[in-house]
Amino acid sequence: MKNAILKKEKLDDFIKIMSKDEKVIAPVLKGNQSYTFTEVKSADEISLKYLPTILPPKKYFMPQHETLIEYDKRNGQKVHCVVEVEDLVIFGVHTCDLAGIQCLNMIFADRPKDMNYLIRKNRITLIGLECNSYCDEFASCALMGNHIPKGGYDLLFTDLGNYFFVEINTRKGEELIEKTNLFENADSNHQEELNKLRKLKESIFKPEVDIDKNEIPSLFKKKFESKIWEDIGERCLSCGNCTNVCPTCYCFDVLDIPDLNLKTGKRVRVWDSCQNEPFAKISGGESFREKRGDRKRHRFNRKFRYPVERYGKFFCTGCGRCSRTCMAKIDLKETIRDLIKEGN
Amino acid sequence: MKKPKVAFFDFACCEGCQLQVANLGEDLLDILDTIDVVEFREVMTEKWDQGYDVAVIEGSITNEHAIEKIKRIRERSKILIAYGSCATIGGVNGMKNDFELNEIEAHVYQENAKHFKTVPTMAVSQVVKVDYFVNGCPIYPPEFITVLKCALAGLPYHVPDNVVCVECKINENICMYDKGVTCLGPVTKAGCNSWCINNGNVCYGCRGMVSNPNENSAKDVLSKYNISLDLIKNKMNMYNKCRELNKNEKDKS
Repeated sequence: MKNAILKKEKLDDFIKIMSKDEKVIAPVLKGNQSYTFTEVKSADEISLKYLPTILPPKKYFMPQHETLIEYDKRNGQKVHCVVEVEDLVIFGVHTCDLAGIQCLNMIFADRPKDMNYLIRKNRITLIGLECNSYCDEFASCALMGNHIPKGGYDLLFTDLGNYFFVEINTRKGEELIEKTNLFENADSNHQEELNKLRKLKESIFKPEVDIDKNEIPSLFKKKFESKIWEDIGERCLSCGNCTNVCPTCYCFDVLDIPDLNLKTGKRVRVWDSCQNEPFAKISGGESFREKRGDRKRHRFNRKFRYPVERYGKFFCTGCGRCSRTCMAKIDLKETIRDLIKEGN
Repeated sequence: MKKPKVAFFDFACCEGCQLQVANLGEDLLDILDTIDVVEFREVMTEKWDQGYDVAVIEGSITNEHAIEKIKRIRERSKILIAYGSCATIGGVNGMKNDFELNEIEAHVYQENAKHFKTVPTMAVSQVVKVDYFVNGCPIYPPEFITVLKCALAGLPYHVPDNVVCVECKINENICMYDKGVTCLGPVTKAGCNSWCINNGNVCYGCRGMVSNPNENSAKDVLSKYNISLDLIKNKMNMYNKCRELNKNEKDKS
């Protein structure tokens, strides 16, 4: 597949043409330097330069609240599976968030396969947007290697001044380009400019924590009993902000919600969080992770150690959301640095 | 099947929660298809002299007369639901417990004070067994309906023991702390779907604190915004004063 370019003045037409056929979602300023992925109808609503959104685009792949089953007990036990799905184009997804979606894809395709997720994912077109420089000081994308695109998109836009360089990664992306008829072929000059930007990025993005990435899982293993977790636990409010905003946290709860007649109703799936007090509580009131420090440690290990052991993949994308949103100012990079500093 | 007999009662409160029920609109019609309301002073004049399948209680318990009345209601009811902050956690009425009772009586009733003996404000569950709780000032109507359904179906309802931030973040609100405003979300029980913050207000903590709030850390967070400790304490006490009665009990035992 050849690459393409889109002149910036044509972005508005691109958004408008797409939004005629399906919902187009893009980053929009909500206020106070906070952005959200929201439906747009034109390019002027979109913030092309944005800090990672409050919630990552995972909310379209695994909605906060989703019906799985509708049941009816009036005549036997009838159940009827539901997949809430719609065609979506998500535009302007940063490479960190694309990496997050790649993690979710892996989890939900693992056995037992999650059909609701997989069906929904196939109906979503992803258009990435490369970051030319850091969004802010909370990011650790270079440490995790997600400052450069590594797939997971249909199209990838790179801002090169008065045009976007567009990498076509899938047949779906190619069809979108053909359909909208606004793109031009990229020539060697365009390619050269892209190479130049990538070269420049090498000097801007440096691993934010001084550690060989491959050493991180063993660091967390070694530091399992560290006092640092206790200290973090004393500061943690257990508000669950870090998990809700995390692009790779996928834990959920499933509940039955009866209608008022008590005969019909639905089974829903809602987001849950390992940071919540009742999450690891079982019958009899026993909790596997009673202390805040235990829960915090668990979350860090679920990003930097357990998934590496199981899937060969880090589940931190370096987006920085958890540190940005934490009221108690528990900082991911600082925590890793503290663990390193503590020594043996 | 005979419809369950449901009665609504109120103690020390503003009756705002009853108003929330009366204002349910179309949902109220569905509810009335399912239950038989036999007493509800706010909306009807009839009374009922037999047992109740469900009694729904608003208001906190503030004098001997109320203690006797709530005990009698409990005896006559199969299921008892406490709803609203006053009934579930004592609510703003708990502020009385900061003062000497005779001073309070004299201040309010002046020369008639001797006819109006008062006791420390208590949540309903501090006097009789409560089967279901609908926290909030006022109640969040969708949660009331959920609890009513659980009560009728014989299912348990657990008031979420997560903080309001959990729901607030899921609703993708801008954090009040990012706006430079203090908010009690980080220590307050969820279940209201972050109703106030969704509508631009802060959380006042009306649902009561989670069972294990990190008060020290919350105070640290608040003090970073140059708020005096006294103000923080007052904010936390506005709805939560009655929990001290439980603490005192624990100290005694």
